[in-house]
Parts: sequence; C-alpha cells; structure tokens
Amino acid sequence: MTVVQGLPYLLQGLGPTLLLFLGGAVGALGLAFAAGLLLRSPDPVLRGAARSYVGLFRGWPVLILLFWLYFVFPPMLGIAWGAYPIGIGALALNGGAYGEEIVRGALAAVPRGQGDAARALGLTRGQVLRCILLPQAFVAMLPPLGNLMVELLKATALVSVIAVPDLLGRALRWRDDELGRVGVIFLLVLVVYFALGQAVRLAFVILERRAGRFRAAEPGR
Amino acid sequence: MDFDTERGPVGRGGLLLGLLGLAAAAWFLLGRGGAPPAGGTLARARAEGVIRVAYANEAPFGYEDPATGRVTGEAPEIARVLFARLGIPRIEPTVADFGALIDGLKAGRWDVVAAGMYITPRRCREVAFSNPTYVVREALLVRAGNPLGLDGYGSLGAHATARLAVLGGSVQDAYARKLGVPDARIEVFADYATALVALRAGRVDALAATRLTAADLLRKAGTGLEAAEPFEEPVIDGKVVRGHGAFAFRPADVELRAAFDAELAGFLGTPEHLELVAPFGFGPHTLPGEATAAELCAAR
Repeated sequence: MTVVQGLPYLLQGLGPTLLLFLGGAVGALGLAFAAGLLLRSPDPVLRGAARSYVGLFRGWPVLILLFWLYFVFPPMLGIAWGAYPIGIGALALNGGAYGEEIVRGALAAVPRGQGDAARALGLTRGQVLRCILLPQAFVAMLPPLGNLMVELLKATALVSVIAVPDLLGRALRWRDDELGRVGVIFLLVLVVYFALGQAVRLAFVILERRAGRFRAAEPGR
Repeated sequence: MDFDTERGPVGRGGLLLGLLGLAAAAWFLLGRGGAPPAGGTLARARAEGVIRVAYANEAPFGYEDPATGRVTGEAPEIARVLFARLGIPRIEPTVADFGALIDGLKAGRWDVVAAGMYITPRRCREVAFSNPTYVVREALLVRAGNPLGLDGYGSLGAHATARLAVLGGSVQDAYARKLGVPDARIEVFADYATALVALRAGRVDALAATRLTAADLLRKAGTGLEAAEPFEEPVIDGKVVRGHGAFAFRPADVELRAAFDAELAGFLGTPEHLELVAPFGFGPHTLPGEATAAELCAAR
C-alpha cells in the first residue's frame, strides 16, 4: 500500500477522533462550569461533592479510567457501555476536573467590589452571576480553556486502546500491515493531530477577540 | 500546577468524602462478584444474526487488510464459515491488544477470540477453548547474520547480555521465563511492530514468535532481519512445545462452544478448509491431528 493509498485509510479515523473530541469537549465544559459554580454554593455538601470530583478525576489517569470502564466494570455490573460513550465520558470527566480550576480561578479574579456593588443595587445572586461575574470571567477563561481543549484533542488518542478506530488506531493498523513505513505513518498522524490542534487554537483566538471586544469600548481604557 | 493549598479545591473533608465514596463503590461492586453477562450467547447471536469477534491484528492469524478494510486471517475466515453454518451470517470484528483479548471476552466486549490464541492450561482457567485449528512450531527473529549466534531460548539464557522481545501475555513470554531467560532481559511489547523496531534498533537481540508470525514479519520488514537457523525447539518437561491455536469463548457459553466444536470437527482438513487457509501459510502441515482442547488444557 503506497502512502497515497494509505492516507485515505488513515483519514477515516478523523470521524471517530472528532466525535471523541467534540463529545469530550461538551462534557468537559459542562462539568467544569457545574463544578466551578457548585464550589461557590453556600451548601457545604454541594461544595464537598464538587471538591471530591475534582480531586479524584484530576488524579486519575485517563488511560486507567478507560481500562476500568471498558474491562473491569462490565463483568461486575453486567452492563457494557460502548467504546464511544466510555471514551467520551472518560475524556469529559478528566477534562472537566481540570476545567473547574479555570472556571473557579476566572470567577475569583473578578474584583469583589463588583459583586458587592451589584448586590447593593438589588440584583439577585443569580443575576449577579449571570450579568456581572460570568461575562467578565468568561473572557479570562478563554485562553486557558483553549489550552485545555487542545490537550483534550490530543488525549483522544488514548481511546485507541479500547478498540476505537480513531486516527491513532488507524495509524497502528496501517503500521501493523507495513512495518517498513513506521516513520512515514507516524509522521502523517503527527501532522494531522497538529493541524487539528491548530484549528482548535485558532477557533479560540477568534472567540477571544469577539468576547473581549467590550473591553476596548470601555471608557477609560 | 499545584493549587492544593489550604483553601484549594480539595479540602481534607472533600477528599475524605471522595475516598469514602470510592471505597463504598468498590465494596458494592466487588460484593456483586465477577459474573460475566448472562449466558445464551448462541441464542442471542442467532436472533441478531451477528457475533462479536476480537482479533489482535497479528498476521496471519487475524488482521485487518488496510487495502480492503476486511478483517481476515486464518481465524476470522474460519469463524465466518463456521458461524454461518450455525445460522449466524455476520461477524462483527474488534481489534485489541493481544494481552487484552481475554479481559475483553470476560468483560462481555466480544463473544469469541479469533486470534489463533494457543491453548494453555493457564488460559484454560480463564476461558473455554474450542478444539485447536492448527499447530505450529516456534521461531526466533534476529538481526541479519545472527551476530550473537543465538539458536533458541537456551542460548538466550546462557548469553550474558542478550535481550529478548516478547508480546505481552504471549506463550513465548512464558516459555522464555520457564527456559531460564532472566526477567531483566525479557522486554515485553504490546504488539510485534514495536518489538520489531526495537530489534532493528538493537534495543533487543531477538524476538520470539510462532514460525508463521515470524515469516509474515520477515516478509513485511524487508531486509536486515532473519529467522535464527538452526533453531533449537523449546523443550518443557521433556516435550517439544508446539503451539495449538484455537478460538476462545466465555466458560459460561457452553452451548456456543459445543456447537462450534461440532462444526469445526466436520470442517478441519476438508479441501474447503485447506483452500480457505492456504493464503495465510496454513495447510496440511499445520493440521492439529487428534489434539483436543481438553487434553491441552490438562497438559503439564
């Protein structure tokens, strides 16, 4: 098989990789915001739950989480989720635990006086969060969230260990078939991941510009 | 990145709570025992018309041909024919690392391992094997010219520094340890492609595989490597070890295995069988004869 024949085979892995990435990203962002907001909750049980989630899943390698979900739990529980839900779930749980730090940090970085002032004007806690804190925190979150998303994209390659035919899975199959071409195959797959990573980075740069526009319009800047 | 200060996200209370939760979950889960998903795989596969088959992408036993996308090899092709005869027209293949094949079978990820897996007493404790479909001898791959003069497992153990590559969970790994190759000089790899790169680069000095795998690797890897000749057959407990490859099922799937074995008995050695497996280097010389899974499981 020449490189020209092999490339389409490799690129069939794009679909699974993008599915894992998009699913993992949506799940990670959802969990990050949920945990980040729960940490500000007045209820100690909710705060404890969010802390435990972050503490556990940040300390648990995605690879081992995948092994547990794929090989260990099914015979114990008698249910076997598919490889995609497991891959997406593991990426989301891990990414969300890291993302929570970003959400928490960005919210904490908004000057305290703003929240106090808004409360003094009679806004409810929810309104303060929605209208005052989050719009400002969101701008601060974007660069580190972009980083996290690129990390998440690269972490999708781990899911090839549970039999998902993603980019890396395809590259490994191709390599098994043509041992002499290992350099070319791994170079190609590296280039593809890099290109995808750049696309994610670019998307966040554009998002940062748009989200940050209101700052330029602020008086006194 | 360390945020774990006193006011960090994981307070002592939170962590304790989390660990308690984890311990409770583990207790609950382990208490339920490791029973595989409910039996009746044969009935289910017949009703759905499909059976899930795992392979390790190791030519010529079971592999995907990237040019066509077809999962082929000795085991998948036999599986297609025999399952069709059992009223299951389609196989749904999944690729896995060799070392994960048995775990995935027990986890209910797939119903059959079609990877030409050898029947060994240790594996028989985990899975139920069909009767063997082939028998094959062992081989050792070395760099061209065999610079260390290796001629078998014994020579590896006797040599002061020679390093051996084996596949994780393979019989060759077990042979090497039994035949006196020190653990420190056995390198375990997840797949043959990586092991072959290590051999070429001089990180290991030999690679243990079946003769059929060795021949396939040599064909794909081109120059610079060779099969060690002469090769001293590994002898364990006074007998030359020869690998008997078979299909593996969950022990609970008694009917499935019995039905498969019945079909297999009428198929092995027929012209149809020999023609089917000839492209993969199998033939009359690899027929397993009278050997049965029961006897191979009880061996040693």
